[in-house]
Amino acid sequence: MAARSRGAELDLGWISKIQVNQPAVLRRAEQIQACRTVKKEWRAAWLLKAVTCIDLTTLSGDDTFSNIQRLCYKAKYPIREDLLKALNMHDEGITVAAVCVYPARVCDAVKALKAAGCDVPVASVATGFPAAQTHLKTRLEEIRLAMEDGATEIDVVINRSLVLTGQWEALYDEIRQFRQACGEAHLKTILATGELGSLTNVYKASMIAMMAGSDFIKTSTGKETVNATFPVAIVMLRAIRDFFWKTGNKVGFKPAGGIRTAKDSLAWLSLIKEELGDEWLKPELFRIGASSLLADIEQQIYHHVTGRYAACYDLPMS
Amino acid sequence: MAETHARPSVREIFSTLEYGPAPESHACALAWLDAQNRLLGHYVNGKWLKPEHRNSVPCQDPVTGENLANCLLAEPDDVAAAVKAALDARGSWSGVPGGERAQHLTRLAKMIQKHQQLLWTLDSLLTGRAIREVRSGDVPLAQQLLQYHAVQAHVQEEVLAGWKPMGVIGLILPPTFSFLEMMWRICPALAVGCTVVAIVPPGSPSTLLLAQLAGGLGTFCGILNVIVGPASLGPTLGRCPGVQKVAFCGAAEEARVLRQSLAGHRLELSLALDLESLLLVMDSADLDSAVEGVVDAAWSDRSPVRHMHGGLRLLVQESVWEETMRRLQSRMRRLRSGPGLDGAVDMGTRGAAACDVAQRCVQEARSQGAEVFQAVTVPSGGPLFPPTLVSGLPPAAPCAQAEVPWPLVMASPFRTAKEALAMANSTPRGGSASVWSERLGQALELAYGLRVGTVWINTHGLRDPAVPIGGCKESGSSWHGGLDGLYEYLQPSGTPGQLPFVFEHLNYDSFGLALPTALPAWPETGPSPVPPYGLFIRGRFQPSGAGSSRPIWDSSGKLHGYVAEGAAEDVRGAVEAAHQAATGWERQSPGARAALLVALAAALEHRGPGLASRLQRHGVELEAAKVEVELSARRLRAWAAQAQAQAQGHTLQVAGLRGPVLRLREPLGVLAVVCPDEWPLLAFVSLLAPALAHGNTVVLVPSGTCPLLALEICQDVASLFPAGLVNVVTGDRDHLTRCLALHQDVQALWYFGSAEGSQFVEWASAGNLKPVWVNSGCPRAWEQEPQGAGPELRLRAARTKALWLPMGD
Repeated sequence: MAARSRGAELDLGWISKIQVNQPAVLRRAEQIQACRTVKKEWRAAWLLKAVTCIDLTTLSGDDTFSNIQRLCYKAKYPIREDLLKALNMHDEGITVAAVCVYPARVCDAVKALKAAGCDVPVASVATGFPAAQTHLKTRLEEIRLAMEDGATEIDVVINRSLVLTGQWEALYDEIRQFRQACGEAHLKTILATGELGSLTNVYKASMIAMMAGSDFIKTSTGKETVNATFPVAIVMLRAIRDFFWKTGNKVGFKPAGGIRTAKDSLAWLSLIKEELGDEWLKPELFRIGASSLLADIEQQIYHHVTGRYAACYDLPMS
Repeated sequence: MAETHARPSVREIFSTLEYGPAPESHACALAWLDAQNRLLGHYVNGKWLKPEHRNSVPCQDPVTGENLANCLLAEPDDVAAAVKAALDARGSWSGVPGGERAQHLTRLAKMIQKHQQLLWTLDSLLTGRAIREVRSGDVPLAQQLLQYHAVQAHVQEEVLAGWKPMGVIGLILPPTFSFLEMMWRICPALAVGCTVVAIVPPGSPSTLLLAQLAGGLGTFCGILNVIVGPASLGPTLGRCPGVQKVAFCGAAEEARVLRQSLAGHRLELSLALDLESLLLVMDSADLDSAVEGVVDAAWSDRSPVRHMHGGLRLLVQESVWEETMRRLQSRMRRLRSGPGLDGAVDMGTRGAAACDVAQRCVQEARSQGAEVFQAVTVPSGGPLFPPTLVSGLPPAAPCAQAEVPWPLVMASPFRTAKEALAMANSTPRGGSASVWSERLGQALELAYGLRVGTVWINTHGLRDPAVPIGGCKESGSSWHGGLDGLYEYLQPSGTPGQLPFVFEHLNYDSFGLALPTALPAWPETGPSPVPPYGLFIRGRFQPSGAGSSRPIWDSSGKLHGYVAEGAAEDVRGAVEAAHQAATGWERQSPGARAALLVALAAALEHRGPGLASRLQRHGVELEAAKVEVELSARRLRAWAAQAQAQAQGHTLQVAGLRGPVLRLREPLGVLAVVCPDEWPLLAFVSLLAPALAHGNTVVLVPSGTCPLLALEICQDVASLFPAGLVNVVTGDRDHLTRCLALHQDVQALWYFGSAEGSQFVEWASAGNLKPVWVNSGCPRAWEQEPQGAGPELRLRAARTKALWLPMGD
């Protein structure tokens, strides 16, 4: 992983001036989805890049060791070996970026990955995921326990009530504490943008999360009614760029929820390329939180290599 | 696209993450060109017209220079053939019920839908514009335009009762344009029952394809005829008998020439000239979104409304100047310029000529001390030009005054909103502008203050068939879209057909130049007549600058009185006074304006007997004179009521936008009116009232035979109205007309007088391209409601502004 973000002092003057014009952002979002396209080899290479940025995720009430194990093996072997060979990419060590599970399943994931001989990090959601409506003390404890179990990345959710009531200092302090609890683990802060009320709040929350030292800011838990959307992403990416210009810190971005097709993933990659530039197009600074996306990408790669569309049994399940 | 270099491997791309080429197939466009044997003629009367012995020009791929086809250039005979086809089709087309025309337009929309891929590919291939924008912007909009106007045709009989189609419309399009420019104009024209002859430049076969698609419907073949030729055929087209209107779209200098050469031909000339657009960024703006607005306006191939070929003037508040420039430059690095047929290109090409113009402007700007920023290098080999940001040129730099060419953005800082407005309004152009500010009050203040045709708030370049698009000042005052667009091709039902009657030998240099020398009129009989009336300027009577006066004779040949002989400096003073009064009057509420008009009506009635007896001295029967006075007062009251009812325009709702679009009716500014000789009181009042009701300030030249009535009313005007609002200058009509028509700061001119005078007015208006309304020497029935107080006056007395207000949080 990249160097940790250092964060910055809380500067409320900075966020008070910010203006976000929602209709204009919506228009930009519409345009940006259509304005770039990649074909042929470029498409294949971009799709493989997308694979390396996936946080392969399962966050269900019925997760058990067996499906976690399947997920971990898929994380290690995301694309069928012979397909990678055909693209001459078999020795690039293509795996997904991380495996993302509930805290109680971290042990299972660590164990399965170890068995697979794979050093993909395990990410755990924490802090009362997905609603964050538990006591701060238990939320902090959750982080510590997940780390003890071997998680090296922590996806925390913020307390939406602090945003909606404008308690920016309190929000800053909470995330600071999360950050301290994380120690060496990477901190991804989930803003749950579907519940923040406005794009202006999304920008402000992004900025506070970055000042407090988040390594990534993440759109959503996947459990809200509105997940990762382009307008929200544009606002968060602009915040990341502003933060970089002001402090020199590069903070990562992770959209999550609702990204299911290969085409979607390409649109997200080009969005990052357009708004932040090539430096952000790597797993250290860009992740896609997804569960079913990988299957679609693998099918597309299959089609690129063989010229045929795959049957469902042609590709191994996760 | 030939790929000369080896393709990189997946492994290489994996590490660089470059965009690759994304070429779109243009096989269908080539097949279409093959079907024409690679020789494009004209499309007239539902058939290809490929006359022999014509010059032809190659039609090239603008990027590679590959010769794709040859285009025959039209000669006057071909224009005449097209006009004849349009004339022949006119009767049947305008004769059918609106519902049938609506059906025909709907069928054309469906026809376009069936062949849309061919349309967008052909257009992108030959214009070099990004195919993505043609596909997702222009083609759907073309269909929407047809559908919107089909609905208008359907309800025409009810909504536009009292209007009739003009007839044959000539349309002239500039060298680089989108086929949409043609659609914006032909849709309303066809909808109301006009037929069209369009002259398009070579290299735009998509317009021929559209004509062919229309021809393919099988019926009403001659309603749309497309001729390929240079814009210099404009005068030829305008002079063809039967052509009632010429709609010109192109460069201002060409428009001036066309205006002059068509003077006196008794046809309407509508101009759409602006290319450059304007963008204002206030310190409260969402700067990142404003930067996207700049990209939309200047560096994308999204065909914005009327500046297909233009650059952008960018005004940024000084307090956010650095921030904005930084964001703008960072955004510029991500723009991609390349062949239009590539699916991942933002900016295609506009041809070698446009690149030369841009290059010259950049060099000139540099030599005048400007900073020039170009972030990306464009692929070599084609006529591509990188997005360019020019800054640091104050208005006084010669380069800063000229029109900004594509794809340049000329950025300047300002300090306050007031200064922004002053800077924005200080160009002769007035097309479209956007205001970027999150403060609603400030944004509206600017939007209302800008002298342009379209204002977008916090967005740029939106368009919709229901929203009128137009301009003011030297951008031309024609409209397309919405109801305003329909009126462009309509005339009031009672309008007589006019035969052109041109004074070929009218000497424009000497017309009305000399002041007639007035000799004393002997003998002064009867009791010593009242001392001469002065000129009514700035709210009071004052002597003429020339120091002479002219006698006014009554119908029995007796001396009725003296009026001052107005001269050039008096006209100047009057226009100046009118300008000083303009701001105050414009800001008056419609109610306050109406109250003053009503007060004037009362005063006029009070003066009734005196006015009637004066009319009597000029040969009007006493009863008729009383009726004229009464009718005049009624007219004032009627316009007062109208002022309150509709001067403020209305709200439109459009598809695809949350939020309203306001259609504002704004005053023209200083309106000069040369009143007819007949109906000395009624015509004067009928012209004065709508002008004032719509917020204009006026300079009037009253009836030449009997100016005294107007001056008498001015005594009431002096006591009721703010000074300078109404100015009346008496004297030699030709001389005063000349002064007003040549005055650059008169925003519009209505002329009711001789045919020569009308011709001169049209010729002289080429100077500032002011809209003029002339009667070509034909008398008007002022006592009749349609001609004396009809909606035509209302339309001509104000200009439209569309104000887009997107909403959302």
